[in-house]
Order: sequence, then structure tokens, then C-alpha cells
Amino acid sequence: MAQSYSLFVARESFVHRLNPLTKLTLTGLLLVSGLFLPGIWTNYLLFVGIVLPLSAAAGVTKQLVRSAWKIVLPFAISLFLIQGFLWPGGTPILYVGPLSLKSEGLQFAVVSTGRILMIVSSFLWFSLTTRPDHLMNSLSRIGFPSNLAYVIVATIQIAPRFQSRAATILDAQRARGLETEGSLRTRARALVPLVIPLVLSSLIDVEERALAVEARAFNRQGPKTFLIELPEAAWEPAARWFMVVLMVSILGLRVYLAITRWRS
Amino acid sequence: MSRLKEEFTTTTWVMIPVAIAINIAVGQIIYTLKIPLYLDSIGTVIVGVLAGPFAGALTGLLANLIWGLSGWNPTYAAFAAVAAVIGLLAGVFTEAGWMRAWWKAILAGALTGLIAAVISAPISAYVFGGVTGSGTDVVVAFFRGMGLGVLPSTFAQGVSSDPLDKAITFFLVWLIVRALPLRFIARFPRAEDVREAEGSPATN
Repeated sequence: MAQSYSLFVARESFVHRLNPLTKLTLTGLLLVSGLFLPGIWTNYLLFVGIVLPLSAAAGVTKQLVRSAWKIVLPFAISLFLIQGFLWPGGTPILYVGPLSLKSEGLQFAVVSTGRILMIVSSFLWFSLTTRPDHLMNSLSRIGFPSNLAYVIVATIQIAPRFQSRAATILDAQRARGLETEGSLRTRARALVPLVIPLVLSSLIDVEERALAVEARAFNRQGPKTFLIELPEAAWEPAARWFMVVLMVSILGLRVYLAITRWRS
Repeated sequence: MSRLKEEFTTTTWVMIPVAIAINIAVGQIIYTLKIPLYLDSIGTVIVGVLAGPFAGALTGLLANLIWGLSGWNPTYAAFAAVAAVIGLLAGVFTEAGWMRAWWKAILAGALTGLIAAVISAPISAYVFGGVTGSGTDVVVAFFRGMGLGVLPSTFAQGVSSDPLDKAITFFLVWLIVRALPLRFIARFPRAEDVREAEGSPATN
């Protein structure tokens, strides 16, 4: 895949050699832990204790931290300003002009930022270290429908081409005198002459693609063989089951805590 | 079951990745134009309209999961269910004949946006603390300042942006469907719901 809609960074590392299913299960476990484990600082501990060491092992720490920072920062700013200062009632701990920082609001902002950090960084770690086609290959082996695998791999391959097509249409319409800067009204008016050609030209491809995949036995039923073999260490299947058990336990703990709180 | 088979033809399967790529590429145009809208579900709505509600729902679901798993927009993955409902509703409104007239398409879009706001508010409140990290957070700030809870403020934020966004999305899709060659539309199972055959009297 020369160019694909994925952040994957090719490296030779222990993490890169793991079976994609093992990494996918770990990402799922991190998401479940991040969303459902109690505690204010849990997510920060998981981030520093698990996600950062794993991305260091894969040699992608710089990319992970940079992308996570870009995505999480706007959320964090909104959370601290809005929930920290505009929390109705609450215990004020710091006064800034007419406003005050509430401890309940601050705690809420810290918990929410931690959750967002956990979701974003675990997805980023997965995508930085896993080739999308390898993921689909290993999912197909355990019975994931091949139609869905086709959709995901095809999307990741064609998205960059569509993005460059969007850039071409933008240039072409500008060359014809279309205003794409200025007031909101001017920019909004540019929407139709940019979006419609993009969508129409993309849809026309569909017919050809349909013929192409049918000619390659797209609807063929029955078992399929695989072009590439993905080796995995002997311990990986057991590790995956262990992580699934952990996930179920965390969900169980959460339900148990909710019930006991609801009873009292 | 036969209904699913009817919706998921080879053309539909091939259309889904194209539709998701359209969502991504239109997002880039919006980013360049700096318009305060998302318009990131045009492709999803097209599939819902042309192929049917279940195909639309699957497109929305996969679009947001791919946004997450590709690493470009991990936060979108949390809203995969909302995207699925948008695709589903596009199909349902089309079958009810709402994509035949432009004003009905706008109304269908606004209703879809309202429902999307209702479903996304609890997700946004629990997972993201009720904020989006963008300009619309001033709405959340306003309602929090008035003393409203996190969930109602988040819902107000959604209602202030989603119905307009989806109304414009549905209107653009209405324009696109008008501009598509009839031969192309005829490949899809729902062709008769969106456009009359050439020569028959128009109903709108």
C-alpha cells in the first residue's frame, strides 16, 4: 500500500510483530478500563504505565504524543474552562475575577480529560503499530465476513485518492474564479460547486468497481485461502483470552458498584 | 432476510467504501472553507437513500469505526451508533417518499439531526464531559452558566448544530440524486423512491 488512510508507521519491533488480534484485544481492554474503572487518576496511570511503555517499545512515542496532544488539548481546555468555572454550586477553591474554580468541576474535568486521553491514545497506539490489511487478514481468519473486510480495506486505500481529488476540484474551481475565501456567505456559496462535482465523479466509479470485483469472484461462497501468513507467538491466543476475561470482570465490577450504590 | 439480500447487492458493497471516502474528502473541503458545519455524513446519507436503511446504517457505523481505527479521528468511534442511526433514518425517510421534494428532504434532515442530538448527548456527556473541543462549546458554557446539568447543556449544544447540519446534508444529497444519471440510479434497489422514471409526470 503506497499511500493509505492510516497512521501506520513501519518499524521492526516486538509490538509490530504481535498478531493484530492481540493488539486489537488489548486496545479493547484499555478502552473498557478507561471508561469503566473507578478513580480520578486511573486513566492517567494506565496511560503512563501501559500506553506510553508500549509505544516506546514500538518506537512511536513521538507520533503518539504529538497526535494525542493535538486531539486532547481542545477538549481539555473546554472542560477546565466550562466545567471547572461554571459548575453550578460547588466548593470554590480559587477566585479569578467574578468567577471561581470549583473543586467538583475541577474533578469532573480531570476525570473526563483522562477518559478522552485514554480513548485517543489507545486508538492511536493501535493504528500506529498495525497495518490495516494485516488486521483484516487476521479478522477474516476468525470468521469476520469478507464483505466487511473488503469495505474497510478499500476505504483505507481510496480515501487518500479522494482527498487529492477534492484538492484538484478546489484548484479547478478557483481557476474558474470561484471565491473560496472571504465572508461566511461567500464561503458557504462555494460549497455546492465543490461538493457536487466531488460526489458525482466519485459515484461514477462505483459501476466500474462493481464489475471489477464481480469479475474477481466477490460473491463466491465457501472457504478462502490467504496470500500472506501472519505468524504469532504461542502465548498470544492465551493472552487474548485472559484480556477478554479481564474486560468482562471490569464490566461486572462496574455493574456491581452501580447496583450497590443504587441500593444504598 | 430477503430484504437484506435486496439491499446488499454487489453495487451496494462497492458503494460503501466510496461513500465513506466521500465523507472523509468532504470533511477536507469543509476544513479548507472554514465553514462551521460538519457535513461528514453526505456519503452515509447517499447510501441510505439509494440502497436502503440497513445499508445506510452499516455505512455510518463503519465510517466512524474507520475514523477511529485509522487513528485520524479516534473520538468519532464513540459516536458510531449515532452515525448508524443517521444512515438508517436516511433510508427510512426515503422509503416514506421524503426525498422526492427538496423541502421534504430538508425537513427529513432536520428531524434526523434532532434525533442524532438526542442519542449523542448521553455519549458526549459521559465520555467527553459534555464538550466537543470546538466553537460550539460556547453553547455548553452558556447553559452551564445558567445552572443546567451536564446532560441538558450537552443536548442544547447538539440541538444548536445538528439539525441545521443534517438539513444541509440532506438537501445536498437531494441535489446529487437529481444530478445522477438515471442508468446509475436504476442499479440500486430503492431507485423508484427517489426519482420518477423519465417522462412520467413529476409529483413535486
